[in-house]
Amino acid sequence: MMKKVKKLVNDFSLGELRTGLKVTSKEFVNKKITVQFPEERTPISPRFRGLHALRRYPNGEERCIACKLCEAVCPANAITIDSEMREDGTRRTTQYDIDLFKCIFCGFCEEACPVDAIVETHIFDYAFESREGSVIDKKGLLEIGDKNESAINKAREEDSKYR
Amino acid sequence: MWQSFVDLTHQLIPWFDGGLADILIIVIKGLALIFPLIIMMAYMTYAERKVIGFMQLRIGPNRVGPFGLLQPFADVFKMLFKEVIFPSKSNIYLFLLAPILAFVPAVAVWAVVPLGEDFYIANIDVSLLYVMAIGSVGVYGIVLAGWASNSKYPLLGALRSTALLISYELVIGFVLVTVVMIASSVNLNTVVESQSGGILNWYWIPLFPMMIVFWIGALVETNRAPFDVVEGESEIVGGTHVEYSGMPFALFFMAEYFNMIFMALLAVLMFFGGWHSPFEGIPFLEGLFEFVPDLIWLLFKMSFFLFLYFWIRASFPRFRYDQIMRLCWKVFLPFTIVWIFVVALMTQLGIGPWF
Amino acid sequence: MEFTSILFYVFSLFFVGSSFVMIVSRNTAKAALWLILTFFSAASLWLLLEAEFLAITLILIYVGAVMVLFMFVIKMLDTDQSTLRAQFTRYLPLGIFVSLIVIVQMTLVLNAGPFDLDTVGLPEQHGASYSNITAIAQQLYTVYVYPFELAAILLLIAIIAAITLVHRTQVKSKKQNISEQINVQAKDRMRFASIKKNSTKESK
Repeated sequence: MMKKVKKLVNDFSLGELRTGLKVTSKEFVNKKITVQFPEERTPISPRFRGLHALRRYPNGEERCIACKLCEAVCPANAITIDSEMREDGTRRTTQYDIDLFKCIFCGFCEEACPVDAIVETHIFDYAFESREGSVIDKKGLLEIGDKNESAINKAREEDSKYR
Repeated sequence: MWQSFVDLTHQLIPWFDGGLADILIIVIKGLALIFPLIIMMAYMTYAERKVIGFMQLRIGPNRVGPFGLLQPFADVFKMLFKEVIFPSKSNIYLFLLAPILAFVPAVAVWAVVPLGEDFYIANIDVSLLYVMAIGSVGVYGIVLAGWASNSKYPLLGALRSTALLISYELVIGFVLVTVVMIASSVNLNTVVESQSGGILNWYWIPLFPMMIVFWIGALVETNRAPFDVVEGESEIVGGTHVEYSGMPFALFFMAEYFNMIFMALLAVLMFFGGWHSPFEGIPFLEGLFEFVPDLIWLLFKMSFFLFLYFWIRASFPRFRYDQIMRLCWKVFLPFTIVWIFVVALMTQLGIGPWF
Repeated sequence: MEFTSILFYVFSLFFVGSSFVMIVSRNTAKAALWLILTFFSAASLWLLLEAEFLAITLILIYVGAVMVLFMFVIKMLDTDQSTLRAQFTRYLPLGIFVSLIVIVQMTLVLNAGPFDLDTVGLPEQHGASYSNITAIAQQLYTVYVYPFELAAILLLIAIIAAITLVHRTQVKSKKQNISEQINVQAKDRMRFASIKKNSTKESK
């Protein structure tokens, strides 16, 4: 009986609506947790899989030996590789294209690579200005690798104890 | 050059005496009211996004200008440069007439509302009825937008919101009847004047339940959350707004915000003593707040109601159509009718806070 | 010419013109809109006659409610133009006949005498502060209170009749009991089952 009266009073004084308003008014004055993206960034795991890059050895020689394992393992068929023999007798790629529209960023290419040539960096805020821009060629990938070598190295080092 | 200008003004003087001056003054008064209103409307969109953002633990617009203060202007220019698209096989004349029909009544109601003592464009005798009549014309914007778009979702949105608007006009009408009975006038000026004398003389105390009903009705009339069945983004995409883009859409948007500001003003005039200071009649505080102009009090009270719009929008989920209808016909209508009876009896017998 | 007479002619022009366009218009929605314009011009004419309460009530009731319902119906109609035009010539003679009768009746009544300017006289001109809403209320609630109440009861009967007509046959829709839904308690919907700890072992 008492319970019913209490519920009646609560219903007619719009009790549930008041609870809702109370919650929002409390949040209104709370500290905001928004991260201001371009200026602030959330921390990223060393295993984060972003934009691809091709690495070089410290002496400047490119790592990729055109074994085509990444091309074979790629589930989205995003990688296209063509190769030939260089003057010094080593096998090198002449073409190494990644179609970023096809790529699903699974990281299998990175895992398959025997020489750690193809890696995925922490870059995720990139954009294309033309339709063809989605395909990155070898030159572009090497450029990304050169530019971010230190960051790639650091991420590999951080993750090394768990591999 | 200057001499010819002076001659021209001299020639115009007889015209001025013949009523042209009166018309000019009315036009200037109207412009003086509409420009601040447009600025107010623009910054209401900013305030809405900020307030709702804060309530959802976000910070809202903060990129354009300091604290995002120039965001409304960015929005306006975006709207201006957008292409106006006409759906195929739509009725173009009615399609373009619809936003105008939504916008014009939203502005026209402001002709009779007083914003202070002797501070109005027109003080007509039946101003409350005028407000309700012109307000009810605004429905045509939605009706025509839904019909002329030649599209399913606008039609659905228009159908269900027109039915709602007509139903809730009844409820609002009944609520206003109680106020009119106490104030014994349908002139908004007189209604406000009869509430003079401090916060205890305002009608929100004797008519508290009516005020709640009025405010819920106002939410429905302005198509605001949680009663925004005309748009219902998650149900019917954008309702009547689906096919509109650019300036026609902006007109709908402006009409909605003008109506919101107007409903807030009406609530203040009807239940919160209009431009009267809440401290009237209190010995010490009355003198302390003597310097505050009437308009500031009015805007202060209005901004509370405008904040309430955003607060409610951030708090409650959307009602289902049949639940709103049930609320109207089975809850509010009997409730208000009973209250009309009670208020009539009390005013007649001179009992209680009614006199 | 006085300013009010200019206004009168402008509004009369709108009134006659829009009602004519409404009749000849083939698009139903447009016809309804022209009718709304007709109402507005009629209201303006009434305003010139100092009948502001009537004028605003006309807009409130006819434009604000009745015509919205009209639009509501028009939206749900299948406006197939060919069927609308199909039997135009068949009903034309009857239409002309009826309209002639109406015109003749109107002329006879209006010329009969009671509406003559000599009999009625010019309406009294009032100042800006004159409030005719008080006058109407005074008349309505004292002299004409019984007809007023009678009209109210008639309307009430009409409402009840309309509702009964709709509900004459049994409504075959599934209905919710909203108060039951609102008053539902957790224990009505949820049951705590006590499951023995060892019961999973037996299945292995």
